Amino acid sequence: MPVFWIVLIVLALSAAGFVLGRGRVMAQAQGDSRKLHSRPVYYGWSVALYTALPAFLVLLIWLFVQPVIIQRSVSKYIPDEAIAEGQTRGIVMGEASKIASTLSVAVGQDVLTRPEALTLTMDDTERLDRLKAAQLPVLTKPDVLRAAQQYLRATHIGSLWLGIVTLALSGAGLVFALLRIRPDFRARNVVERVMRGLLIGCSTIAIATTAGIVLSLVFESISFFRLYPWQDFFFGTEWTPSFGGGSKLGMLPLLWGTLYISVIALLFAVPVGLFAAIYMSEYASPRVRSVVKPAIEILAGIPTIVYGLFALVTVGPLIRDWLAQPMGLGNSGSSVMTAGLVMGVMLIPFVSSLSDDIINAVPQSLRDGSLGLGSTHSETIRQVVLPAALPGIVGAVLLAASRAIGETMIVVLGAGAMAQISGNPFEAMTTITVKIVGQLTGDNDFASPETLVAFALGLTLFVLTLGLNIFALYIVRKYREQYE
Amino acid sequence: MNDMSLVEREVTQDDIKITARDVQVYYGDKHAIKDVNVDILDKTVTAFIGPSGCGKSTFLRCINRMNDTIDIARIEGKIALDGEDIYDKRVDPVQLRAKVGMVFQKPNPFPKSIYDNVAYGPRIHGLARNRADLDEIVEKSLRGSALWNEVKDRLHEPGTGLSGGQQQRLCIARAVATAPEVLLMDEPCSALDPIATSQVEELIDQLREDFSVVIVTHSMQQAARVSQKTAFFHLGNLVEYGDTDDIFTRPQDPRTESYISGRIG
Repeated sequence: MPVFWIVLIVLALSAAGFVLGRGRVMAQAQGDSRKLHSRPVYYGWSVALYTALPAFLVLLIWLFVQPVIIQRSVSKYIPDEAIAEGQTRGIVMGEASKIASTLSVAVGQDVLTRPEALTLTMDDTERLDRLKAAQLPVLTKPDVLRAAQQYLRATHIGSLWLGIVTLALSGAGLVFALLRIRPDFRARNVVERVMRGLLIGCSTIAIATTAGIVLSLVFESISFFRLYPWQDFFFGTEWTPSFGGGSKLGMLPLLWGTLYISVIALLFAVPVGLFAAIYMSEYASPRVRSVVKPAIEILAGIPTIVYGLFALVTVGPLIRDWLAQPMGLGNSGSSVMTAGLVMGVMLIPFVSSLSDDIINAVPQSLRDGSLGLGSTHSETIRQVVLPAALPGIVGAVLLAASRAIGETMIVVLGAGAMAQISGNPFEAMTTITVKIVGQLTGDNDFASPETLVAFALGLTLFVLTLGLNIFALYIVRKYREQYE
Repeated sequence: MNDMSLVEREVTQDDIKITARDVQVYYGDKHAIKDVNVDILDKTVTAFIGPSGCGKSTFLRCINRMNDTIDIARIEGKIALDGEDIYDKRVDPVQLRAKVGMVFQKPNPFPKSIYDNVAYGPRIHGLARNRADLDEIVEKSLRGSALWNEVKDRLHEPGTGLSGGQQQRLCIARAVATAPEVLLMDEPCSALDPIATSQVEELIDQLREDFSVVIVTHSMQQAARVSQKTAFFHLGNLVEYGDTDDIFTRPQDPRTESYISGRIG
């Protein structure tokens, strides 16, 4: 039975359970809901949850476990002789499962009946021809075919039992929950406990994912540092990976590029964003503000690859022709300056939007107090509003900084891919993120230090941005305490 | 009543500081202040009383043009400080507010140190020639607002760390340090406990020596205690204005009488 139908039936059962449960308790209370411990809907929900949750839980676990068990049972049908030279058991198993799916498609299209498919042999030219005619040719060894047929059989039996078990469980839950219902049954407590479990589950997913990401980074990094000395990685000033061996994987040039580009981006974005925020929150009329603020926030919605294109075709050549070449500082189309400026544009909305909110959160009474002492509007902003908003603004800048450090596409297209340490902002450089992409794309051996270095780089980047984020959150929180 | 008459005898000043003629204030379509005429004396405490929403705070904010910061507010009529129209085009509200200081309902110390809070006005207006001058102004203002002894050892701690009453006295010190001619107070004690209130009231009485003080208050007892002149506002009208003693003992208008005896409010 297809999983889709099982899900639908269970949902229908649980909807019925909801109606039945609510109706039953109302009947028991002679229609007076004040006699009940909980409101009527909670009785309905308690039945619905008992009907659906255990069934779905079993369904979920079953779907994970079934393939593993089937793999194991099918594997017995493939003798060691059937595995050709240079092949592994996994490859043959893959072939068997592919044939199994071909056969099941054939059954679905009425090319073969189910018994015919299960008794097919490689000598049966009539059935094989029928398959070929239907564009579903089966060409394999007899052992593999038998394995495929076993695969088909096991899957069929598995899904049959899956349907029986889940529907039975669902029905049992329905009956059990219905029988439990009495006016003094604490249905709300049951439902709320389940709901709380659900909420906890969702937040756990987020945390578990983070932990999983960190762990996978850590383990891969450890295997990298087994192959490559950590001193050379952290303190090496040369980045020349070569898959033939003898590569130098010092991360300092990449770290330098990352920080250089981020600093230029922030030097551009912070003043522009902050001044825009001051204009919007202090000077603009509400009507202007309602137009300007969303317009600036559109910048945040542009995909970074589009910014990259802008850097590549417009800003890069412009900077080369009007700044770098006249000053004799190089003639590279891609440069740190290009990537930094374009990234700065990308960061403007982050700085301006957050700062605007923070400046608006400064109490009007402070502005009144300052104006009431005879200070001008600009003195008020400079000496009262901005100092009061400063912690929040710093938080906004740090969030923008971690965005800048993690940015990839703008750097690829704007700054190029040359790993070097140089002070000249008109030269091509590259960042950690770009090199992570570079090391992992392509058909490479996944156990070589040249590939594994990506994970060590990723971990470095993660620690860097995590540190910045924690610092930003700490500052933002400290600021919040001030006016509450 | 004895101390009342004592206060009354002290009203020796009759120099007019502020003159208001036919003042109208509109908030959008709402006519908030209607035909207000009043003469406020120098070196006197004048109290504005009246029920909530009667326009007393609005009128107070007209005197230093704080209503300018509200986009929808519109003011007509004439208000003069020492005979000069403050709504004249040539008058800069910033300069006006340096002469007419304001203390607000809720204590609003800046998120700076106590010292910097008080030094804020003098620094902006260049009242101090050097650091020693500034120190002296800060000390004098804090002494003047009866806060010096409590904060002299922690001048460089944040002003927001003080108690509510101390914060309000800090705000008064901040206003005093700017050396204004008139001090406007918008319900300065409404957020304070009785002890802090009596300290601030005492302070207001002292401030009268140097400034013309205008105070908006909800408490009739407070008006009676601290003021020499009282104005009663009702529904945007100035109903009655006169010596505090007269207003509270021999009100001329039936509305004033109803209000002070608690029948309307």
